[in-house]
Amino acid sequence: MNERMQSRDETEEGDLQPGRTRLSGYAYAAAACLATTLLATPLRDLFDLANIVMLFLLTVVLVAVRLGRGPAVAAAFLSVASFDFFFVPPRFSFAVSDAQYILTFAVMLTVALITGQLTARLRLEAKAASGRERRARALYGMARDLSGALTVEQAADIARRFIHDTLAANTMLYLPIGTGELKEAGDTAGIPDGITARFAHLAFRSGKAVGPGTPDIEHRPILFLPLSAPMRVRGVMTVTLGESPLLPEQRQLLETVASLVAIVIERLHYVEVAQEALLGVESERLRNALLSAVSHDLRTPLTVLVGLSDSLAMTGEGLPRNMKETAEAIRDEALRMSRLVSNLLDMARLQAGDVRLRKDWQPLEEIVGSSLKHVEALLQGRSVRIDLMPGLPLLEFDAVLIERVLCNLIENAAKFTPADGQVTIAARRRDDFVEISVSDNGPGLVQGSEIAIFEKFMRGQPESAKAGVGLGLAICRSIVEAHGGRIWAENRSEGGARFVFTLPIGEPPTVDDMLMARIEGEVS
Amino acid sequence: MSEPTPIVVVVEDEKQIRRFVRTALEDEGCRVFEAETAARGLAEAGTRKPALVVLDLGLPDRDGVDFIKDLRGWSSVPVIVLSARSEESDKIAALDAGADDYLSKPFGVGELLARVRAMLRRQIAVGGTSVFEFSDVRVDLASRTVERSGQPVHLTPIEYRLLTHLLANSGKVLTHRQLLKEVWGPSYVDSSHYLRIYVGHLRQKLEADPTRPRHLLTETGVGYRFQP
Repeated sequence: MNERMQSRDETEEGDLQPGRTRLSGYAYAAAACLATTLLATPLRDLFDLANIVMLFLLTVVLVAVRLGRGPAVAAAFLSVASFDFFFVPPRFSFAVSDAQYILTFAVMLTVALITGQLTARLRLEAKAASGRERRARALYGMARDLSGALTVEQAADIARRFIHDTLAANTMLYLPIGTGELKEAGDTAGIPDGITARFAHLAFRSGKAVGPGTPDIEHRPILFLPLSAPMRVRGVMTVTLGESPLLPEQRQLLETVASLVAIVIERLHYVEVAQEALLGVESERLRNALLSAVSHDLRTPLTVLVGLSDSLAMTGEGLPRNMKETAEAIRDEALRMSRLVSNLLDMARLQAGDVRLRKDWQPLEEIVGSSLKHVEALLQGRSVRIDLMPGLPLLEFDAVLIERVLCNLIENAAKFTPADGQVTIAARRRDDFVEISVSDNGPGLVQGSEIAIFEKFMRGQPESAKAGVGLGLAICRSIVEAHGGRIWAENRSEGGARFVFTLPIGEPPTVDDMLMARIEGEVS
Repeated sequence: MSEPTPIVVVVEDEKQIRRFVRTALEDEGCRVFEAETAARGLAEAGTRKPALVVLDLGLPDRDGVDFIKDLRGWSSVPVIVLSARSEESDKIAALDAGADDYLSKPFGVGELLARVRAMLRRQIAVGGTSVFEFSDVRVDLASRTVERSGQPVHLTPIEYRLLTHLLANSGKVLTHRQLLKEVWGPSYVDSSHYLRIYVGHLRQKLEADPTRPRHLLTETGVGYRFQP
């Protein structure tokens, strides 16, 4: 009997228990031959020997159908032997009196072997087909389960169970975390040990399977399969293999599982991304609604306060002097509160990063003028010097926001300058930037506070009685940086502080002289 | 005052704001009618024949901009808008719809009265002289001449046209869009840097201190206003 053939049978049939195949298959074959012999013996006188041969051939076919190739071969030989021994004269001897029986034996053996082989192969193929169908159905079932998976852990669990059920192998999923390291998926989340991590990374980076056959890995019966999704590799699946090597079919199955899992992980990833985006839009809308509601709700009582106290102060002669002063003080404080509210709301908007810049090309001069008009009342007699370099190019900026920066800087300068002090607003071109500065001749900045003052809620002089929570400069910084510029503070050598910010020059639109001339012509 | 008492309709949903606006206007010699809602406001504007409407943009029943569009369908009465919103786009929308001026909340009584006076004066001045004078500048529309301290000032046709348009709408805020459309034509409404350059030229030629103009005023992010 052929040992090699036998072992192949066993693996190909897969589902039969090895012990049973090896021993009982042959025993059954032998028993079948014996039974045929016993059955045919009484018929020996009724039928021609040629028909007895048919009985033996039928036996071989039946053995092949039921028990496979090995037993069929054994049955073929046994049949020829027992036919010779029990039926061909002289009986009970392997000797043959008539030489023509040699031909009968040869044909009988050949036919038995061939039909046995063919039948056995037919049976094998039927078995393989049903096996394939079963696997396909299982795979389909798993794919269906996977498509319903809501978390990566669920997907990992489904894959783990499927591979355990079909191949009796253990599976593990490793997914990349923020730092690029691979981490086990699931509750027992652990980091793979050194060597496992190395091979997992290799598979993850290369996008190719790593396993037996890869250098340095022979002693590890683990297969590392990359989870390759359409967009990118999403992780690594490890399969701990049994003693015997994987068949191509099984390997293919594992790769199919890996790519299914990868697609699921990618799907879950994009679902998450979409959800986050939706959440972002929602919260932005909510924040904007909240900010405008707060803005409206705070400004309305402030408007009433300013208006009523102002009316009171303006009633004129009928009012005692100190009451008039009180009314004015209430108005001024309400106005300051309003500026504070504006600053807080602006800071909230700028911090949230959802301020849309309404940039236009415009001369800087205009914005200096309008800023000064806004803060006129706060300057309270301090003189202002304007020193803009002639021929400055048009700059692209959001007029309202840059006016805010200038107003805050001028207000700041006024706050820290004596009543007879001077504020200077200057602008110079420096390479690709225009540098705008607001300087004063006050006490200057506390050494070392030049950077900190641009932080929220910081003040140049912590213990000073000057009003303000120090949002103004933080807002300035946010606005200037949103325009691609820089802002800083320094002490002037001649005394006082200087706040400087820059705006990039960019490419101003060409003011088309020809066009201008043409328009001029049209008008006249 | 020799003129008949001007009538002002105040459309504002906040009672206390209505109260001080009313007091201020009555002290100024106006007759005031109040309205809490846009619907009521339109009815008042129709029946009282006001000389001025003061309108809050954040009304409970209707958007203020819609109110103005509706009102402009049958009346050219000046409208001053009160806006609690800091967004410039709301003001621009109101001005483009036909409002004449705006005040951002909170505002002082002095500020309010100055705007009201300018609006009322504008109405009286309609059909008046063809000569405008401010500071040391004299503009004669009939002879198309501009003088400064008695010396003729040369303006290009565009500059002259821009100046006369601002003068004709004295006290009124004109948006960038309105000015570009009127002076340059509808196809130039997005070329706001032209407008800014020309306003700069006018200031250079007519203002005592071009960086701190007193008559050709910037309404940041919105437009310009001529103040006599």
